[in-house]
Formats: sequence, structure tokens, C-alpha cells
Amino acid sequence: MIKQVPDSSEVEIDPVKMTLNRTKARNVVNAADLNALEYALRIKDKVGANITVISMGPPMADAAIIECMARGADRGILITDRAFAGADTYPTGLTLAATITKLGNVDIVFGGDETTDSSTGHVGPGVAEFLGFDQITYAKEVDYEDGYVIATRDLEDGDEIVKVPTPVVITVLLNSNIPRHQSLRKKIDAIRKGVESWGINELGLKPEWVGLRGSPTIVRSMKAIKEPEHLHKTVTLDKIDDIVADLVSKNIIKVGGK
Amino acid sequence: MMVGLINAIPVANKDEYKNVGVYIEHRGDEIKRSSLEMIGIGKQLARKINEKLLCVVIGDKVDGIAKEVGEYGCDIVLAAESPDLAEYRTMPYAQIIGDYIAEYKPNIFLLAATRNGRDLASRIAVKERTGITADCTVLDVDENRTLLANRPTYGESTLAEILCRNHRPQMATARPGTFTPAEKEKDHKYEIVKKKVNVDKNMLKKQIIKFIPKKATDLTAAKIVVAGGLGLGGPDGFKLLQDLADLIGGAVGSSRPPVDLGWITRDHQVGQTGQAVRPDLYVAVGISGKPQHVAGMKFSKVIISINKDPNAEINKISDYIIVEDYRKAVPALIDAIKNFGKQKVAEAQKA
Ligand SMILES: Cc1cc2nc3c(=O)[nH]c(=O)nc-3n(C[C@H](O)[C@H](O)[C@H](O)COP(=O)(O)OP(=O)(O)OC[C@H]3O[C@@H](n4cnc5c(N)ncnc54)[C@H](O)[C@@H]3O)c2cc1C
Ligand SMILES: Cc1cc2nc3c(=O)[nH]c(=O)nc-3n(C[C@H](O)[C@H](O)[C@H](O)COP(=O)(O)OP(=O)(O)OC[C@H]3O[C@@H](n4cnc5c(N)ncnc54)[C@H](O)[C@@H]3O)c2cc1C
Repeated sequence: MIKQVPDSSEVEIDPVKMTLNRTKARNVVNAADLNALEYALRIKDKVGANITVISMGPPMADAAIIECMARGADRGILITDRAFAGADTYPTGLTLAATITKLGNVDIVFGGDETTDSSTGHVGPGVAEFLGFDQITYAKEVDYEDGYVIATRDLEDGDEIVKVPTPVVITVLLNSNIPRHQSLRKKIDAIRKGVESWGINELGLKPEWVGLRGSPTIVRSMKAIKEPEHLHKTVTLDKIDDIVADLVSKNIIKVGGK
Repeated sequence: MMVGLINAIPVANKDEYKNVGVYIEHRGDEIKRSSLEMIGIGKQLARKINEKLLCVVIGDKVDGIAKEVGEYGCDIVLAAESPDLAEYRTMPYAQIIGDYIAEYKPNIFLLAATRNGRDLASRIAVKERTGITADCTVLDVDENRTLLANRPTYGESTLAEILCRNHRPQMATARPGTFTPAEKEKDHKYEIVKKKVNVDKNMLKKQIIKFIPKKATDLTAAKIVVAGGLGLGGPDGFKLLQDLADLIGGAVGSSRPPVDLGWITRDHQVGQTGQAVRPDLYVAVGISGKPQHVAGMKFSKVIISINKDPNAEINKISDYIIVEDYRKAVPALIDAIKNFGKQKVAEAQKA
């Protein structure tokens, strides 16, 4: 599962409206999804596998799928239909799960831990629940052996090593490996092969189940966040006591330190 | 599985749903700080609309934790116990919470957006066929008992208010470090409803082979963060920052490049792909202030920037700007803090 997102290193903040200006940003494959693809490719290298890349998005998202095929995926499917627009994580999970069900014989579903755009991290576990699969989230080392996935989950207070029989959904931690490069030959093959396109009918879904209509949540409003005011005082080293005095008076630090 | 769930999401009869539910995360006998924060906000929401706070505790031996949760102000503690639940596993935990939701029908259900909290949250939402808002920093409830779930988006510049109109419970996860942790209430009356559960063996297929604890730097709990960037020039710079942090009771943070270069571990990273902090004081040392970094610290109350470059972007959001090599500026700040104290003490002794 991959999602096309605006390149977050290119997204500019509009200084007046304090919103992101996404129009200038290039669209790229969500970074963690490339880490997920890399683990899938390593399993393919080790035991052989057929990798299908799926993405729900507008027609232009086929470029993201082609990029993944140029890195070694075998097949690409774009799930695209006007009815899918405006989906929250519930119908997104449903639509992806329906796609995986239609593909059939899927042992491992890989995704990123979260996206760099809306970053809920809710799609992977949602897909797992729809499919009835077990799941491994925040995986940073992934190996496969004899029907089992062995992976390390990166938690706040430690690393958890788990072993889970397939089928399983794995969400991969951003930056947990170095994705291999695209190959020109594979890219040409991918363009020749093309990206398949599935819509609501192919998946046997109804319009009221997906997209905005199938979304239990709605965004009611967007407000600019008021940020704290700052003093902007340049202080030379001989005046550094002024800072200390201010911090002490605000009870932020204690006289003489801690 | 699939086919059963596909049949659209039924609209809930809202009047059947009442009270605020919270999932309590713990490791061993210790309740996670983030869960105490959830009790805090859960209690606030429940009391605003005169409803009860329900907390779900799951584990092997949970009596101690259940009691503590009650003391923190929960009204009804739902405690599920089994030796098979000693370790956290998604499948049985999601099942048990789902069963509780089906039985007790809470109007609102909250989890902390920790990694295991996020592992569970949307799975439960799909199971219960309802919507969920992720990583909220503002939560409120209106007179119609609608949860107003607010989450920052677009690099923290905007707050999106998200509602779940027709489905129940209204679910949300909350960003750790945002809400004030609950404090124990003297004489608070609570009830513990305990059940022993038999866990379906099919849900125990995930083997937890090993848990390797790591020193967790929870920057979100720190009142003071002293952070270093690429401008430190190497790992040694962080020793100097640690001295300053130790002196004033702070934690050491970092921008991303030092983490990528291996100067410091990733649990210290502040920013869009690290931790989001809102301390009383943030000292940015050799950090330029790129948007991905600023996203994780711009709500700090007081910001001090130590940077050679007078035009560094971080200065735009700083209270105090020290334009110097940090190797001079940080020791000077340390001395000033130490001596400031001495001076005061001397003055007091004189008087
Ligand atoms: C400002 C804003 C706030 C939002 N807040 C919420 C919210 O709180 N709750 C909610 O339910 N919805 C929310 N949404 C809607 C949400 O963005 C969409 O549901 C989106 O389709 C998936 O969410 P995500 O990007 O957060 O995915 P994540 O869950 O962060 O993505 C994890 C992984 O799932 C896979 N994946 C995700 N989307 C796709 C896709 N389209 N195709 C293929 N694979 C995919 C990828 O592998 C990805 O790495 C919000 C949208 C916006 C614009
Ligand atoms: C998807 C994505 C996610 C990202 N997530 C994060 C994130 O979570 N957190 C994060 O921090 N970054 C993140 N980044 C990286 C971010 O874009 C910047 O590259 C990074 O924040 C810059 O770090 P820096 O300020 O330490 O380094 P620089 O930008 O190189 O700044 C170094 C500063 O040090 C000053 N300096 C140099 N020498 C000295 C000296 N001797 N004394 C004092 N000052 C000195 C310089 O004047 C300069 O201002 C992300 C990037 C991407 C694309």
C-alpha cells in the first residue's frame, strides 16, 4: 500500500495565511512506504515473491506506482474513482482491504507507519481489522522464514521482537532501511506494462460505503493556531544575566540551578 | 470478516450511548504517564456533562492498577484479567475493548496516541464501526454531548476540528504530553468491575520473543529542553548541553541531522518526525530552525537561540537570541546561572 503525498521538504509555509503551500511541491511516494517496499523486496530476494503495489488516489498517482515498479515491484494497481474522494481512514481502510481481498492469496500486506501529509497512522491497523489479519506496527527490522514474519517493533520504551504467522499486515517505521534505487530497465518495463486501474465496480463496493459518503468523520473547521508571542531580544554575553533573571522571575529555573 | 463489515456503517442510536471511556496503558505495575493524561482529560469531559468516567485496564494481574485508576478519579474501572494477557497483543486487546464498548456503550472513547495506543485505536474504530480522530491536542464536548476533536495539521499551523456525527462511540487519540496528568483524589468513590477472560487461542498467534527495554527519553514530560543541532559539530557538543540541562533540570533534545549522524539517539529528536514538545523553556543550540524542526517545538513558552548566524530562522520565534559560537555561549550561560544564585545568596546574607 503506497500513498502519493506532496514532498514535505518542498512544502512552503504561507507566512500570511500560515497554511502550507502545497501547490509548489512535487508529488512523491510517502517516504515510509519506500521503506515498506524495501522490506518486501528483501523478502522477494530471499524466498521469491510476487509484489503488487496498490494505491488509492487520483489518476496522477500512477506515477508513484510506476516508481515502485521501477524499484522492483511486479504489478501496480491504482484504485481510482470519483466516489473514493474525501475518504477518511475508515473507507480508506475498507477500500484497500477490498482490493487486497480481490487480489487474493496475499500473505503480507506492507504499508508505512504513517504518511507525511495527514499522518494519522490509522490506515494499516484499519485494513488489518477489515481483513481479520494480525498486525505488526512500527516495524524496523523485518524478516520472513517458513510462513512466519519476525520483526522488531520500535516502541517508546523498548524494542519488541515478535514472530507472527502470515497473513499479516506490517506497517514499517520511517527511515528503518535504505530503499534501493530505481532501475532504468525496470522503469521502462513498468511503463510498458502500465498501471491497472480499478474503480468502485471492480471492487464490488457501493458509493455510500466509500469516499466522503462512507466517512464517519467530517472536518468541521480549520483555524490558524495562535502561537506564543516572543520577545526577539538579541543579548550579548555580558548581558546574559538578564536572561537568567527573567527565567528565575518566571519560575522556570531556580536560583543557582536545579 | 470482510463481508460482514462491508455492509456500510450503521448509524448509531445516540441516546443509548453515555459516559466517557478511556483505555489505560501500563507496563507491569506502572501506569503510563500518557494514560494519566487521558484520565485527566476524560474526567474533565465527563464532569462537564455530568457523566461517568469508565477506564479499561487489561493484563495478567490488574488489581493494583485498577485500584490506582480509581484513586485517580475514574468512576467505573473495567478490569479484564488473564495470564494470556500479560503482554500486550493487538488481537485480544482489541477484542476485549470492543466487547466492553459493545456492552457499556460509551459516548466517547479515548486512547493515548502512543505507539501501542495507535496500534489499537483504529482497529477498535473499525471493529465498532465508528470514526476516530488522530493525535488530538484540544478535546472538548458541547451541550449536545458531541466530542469536539481538534488536531493540528499542515506542519502544526492549523487546527482542524473533526466531528463524528452519526456513529458511536466518538473516538479520538490524544497526543502524549498535551494534557495535564490526573492527580489522585482523596475519598473518590469508584467501582471496580473485574472479569476473568478466556482468550481465544487464535488471537495468541503473535509470539513476543523478546522485549529489550531502552532508556526512553520522554521529552514531552520535560519542563525544559536543551536541544542541539548540526551546529554542534560533533557528539561532544551534547556533553556541554547535558551539563546545562543537568544544572537546570532539563532534558536534552536534538534536531534530526545529529540523530542521522549517530551523535545522539533518535529518542532525543524533536520535530515533525520526532517528538513534539511544549516546555516552559527551549534552548536551541546550533539549530537553524527549519520548518520540520520548528513544528515540534514552536509552542515552547520561552525560546533561547544560540547561533553564530544572526539571521537564523529560529531567531524569528525566539525570546532571547545569543549570536555567538556555542562553545563560548553555553559555558557563559552555565556560569551566569551558577553565579546568579551565589550573588543572590550573598545579597540575602548581607541583608
Ligand atoms: C487535515 C486532515 C486531517 C485528517 N484527520 C483525519 C482523522 O483524524 N481521522 C480520519 O479518519 N481521517 C482523517 N483525515 C483523512 C485521511 O487523511 C485520509 O483518510 C487518508 O486517506 C489516509 O490517512 P493518512 O494519510 O493519515 O494515512 P496513514 O494511516 O498515516 O497511512 C499509513 C499507511 O497506509 C497506507 N495508505 C494510506 N493511505 C493510502 C492510500 N490512499 N492508498 C494506499 N495506501 C495508503 C500507506 O502505506 C501509508 O504509509 C484527515 C485529512 C486531512 C486533510
Ligand atoms: C520529511 C522530513 C522530516 C524531517 N523531520 C525533521 C525532524 O523531525 N526534526 C528536525 O530537526 N529536522 C527534520 N527534518 C530535517 C530538517 O529539514 C532540517 O534539515 C533540520 O532540521 C536541520 O537541522 P539543524 O538546524 O540542526 O542543521 P542546519 O540547518 O545545518 O543548521 C545548523 C545551524 O548551526 C549554526 N551553527 C554552526 N556552527 C555553530 C557554532 N559553532 N555555534 C553556534 N551555531 C552554529 C548555523 O548557523 C546553523 O544555523 C526533516 C526533513 C524532512 C524532509
